[in-house]
Amino acid sequence: MIVTWRIGLRIALIMIVAIVLQVSFFSYLTLFGTTPDIIPLVAVSLGLLGGAMTGAVCGFILGFILDSVLLATLGVSSLMLLAVGYLAGRYREGTEISNTLIPPIMIGALTIAASAGFAAMQLMLGIDVPVSLLVLREIFVQGLLAFVLAIPFYPLIRRILRPAIVDDVVAGRRMRTPIRSGTQRSRRRLSRRRSPRMRRATGVS
Amino acid sequence: MLVVLVVLALVLISATFSQSSGGPLHTVQQGMASAFSPLENGATRALKPARDLVNWVSETFNARGQNSELKTDVQKLRAKLAKAQSAVGENEQLRKLVGLDQKGVLAGYNLVTARVIQRPPSVWYSTVGIGAGSGDGVAVNDPVIDGDGLVGRVTDVTPNTAQVTLITDSESAVSAKVLPNGPEGVAKPEAGDPSTMLLDFIDKNAPIHEGQMVVTAGWSNGTLSSFAPAGIPIGEVRQTTIGQQETYQNIRLAPFADMLNLDIVQVGTNGPARPGVSQ
Repeated sequence: MIVTWRIGLRIALIMIVAIVLQVSFFSYLTLFGTTPDIIPLVAVSLGLLGGAMTGAVCGFILGFILDSVLLATLGVSSLMLLAVGYLAGRYREGTEISNTLIPPIMIGALTIAASAGFAAMQLMLGIDVPVSLLVLREIFVQGLLAFVLAIPFYPLIRRILRPAIVDDVVAGRRMRTPIRSGTQRSRRRLSRRRSPRMRRATGVS
Repeated sequence: MLVVLVVLALVLISATFSQSSGGPLHTVQQGMASAFSPLENGATRALKPARDLVNWVSETFNARGQNSELKTDVQKLRAKLAKAQSAVGENEQLRKLVGLDQKGVLAGYNLVTARVIQRPPSVWYSTVGIGAGSGDGVAVNDPVIDGDGLVGRVTDVTPNTAQVTLITDSESAVSAKVLPNGPEGVAKPEAGDPSTMLLDFIDKNAPIHEGQMVVTAGWSNGTLSSFAPAGIPIGEVRQTTIGQQETYQNIRLAPFADMLNLDIVQVGTNGPARPGVSQ
């Protein structure tokens, strides 16, 4: 992902809207006995689209804002979300995502990981009361809901960040450029039209 | 970079635990909470119809499964009704005795009505944000109720918002009393299950039965007090078990207030001074 200040602004907007939607809408819903959590979904999506570092930084910031808004223990959500954002990014950097089902599956699995990690952190930080086994159901169902919610949300986030995603930009260029047997001169002209940043990103000169 | 972020997160965790309530990190949190509160307030109101629609669909789905269970319950309840009617007169007297009359359960307090504007996504944090703060007279440790009973207490305030820690939060505990003349214990949550609470420190010889109402006891020893005054309904006894080797009964309560669907709550402000409860 090519992160310019405009793209940074879009990412910031995605994160703020996600936090507001979570605390004002999704946290009020009760589906299969639990509440959907879109915050790991956003962190993982940004990791899958932007790579490990983008995922980690966005996860950390998302967690920090969430803990601040909820006046909760700072750092706990940041740690979990930066971990899942980073893992999603590492996956994307090492593997080509060829199937449209892979992002929702990754989002569901990493949401389960984030919820389980969050539960483990809470237990390590000290809980003086008995813990219900329903926590396990909560973790699993949140992963399932994240999988379902990822089906519309991941393409939406991808669409918002489309100008920054190298694959999409190259694909878009290819689609807009008809395949024809151009002359050497016209190919040079096309090459000049590509921005220097695009040439660096795609390796095409 | 990754290492820096991880270390930063760990530093934040330890700093949050070690700092006092007026520390710099807490001030940052309060500032961010205040900054987000108008957005949350607007979004909560604007998205209410959509929330209601989704919850209606979900509840309808659940209701189909509950139908047969409820039919069985109705049969049991019919049998209990005859018994209960004779106790109605006695119950009225007892309600007055514990201050649970129709005048309100927070007598002596100024009630501030507020809308719930935010909720956490995790069962580990049983807190809600409300749209009333210190500007409305809300202070830390004020009791919070809804139409059904005790909801929690205020644990943090900003000028326009307040954070309410619910009685189902893992850090909550409230002195409680079983009606009509049952013993006093401590009602505390079961982490991860907002529809269940436990009543602890009830002697195993005390006669406690399913369906008995549990209210706040308003415990005080002169220097320390419970944040909640006596007589606020908490829930009803759902199950009691007695372990042979245990000193106390295992009592499960069903809280009256629906913690997953709080919408409007009331905060008891400027109430009578309670020893040891800082405001």
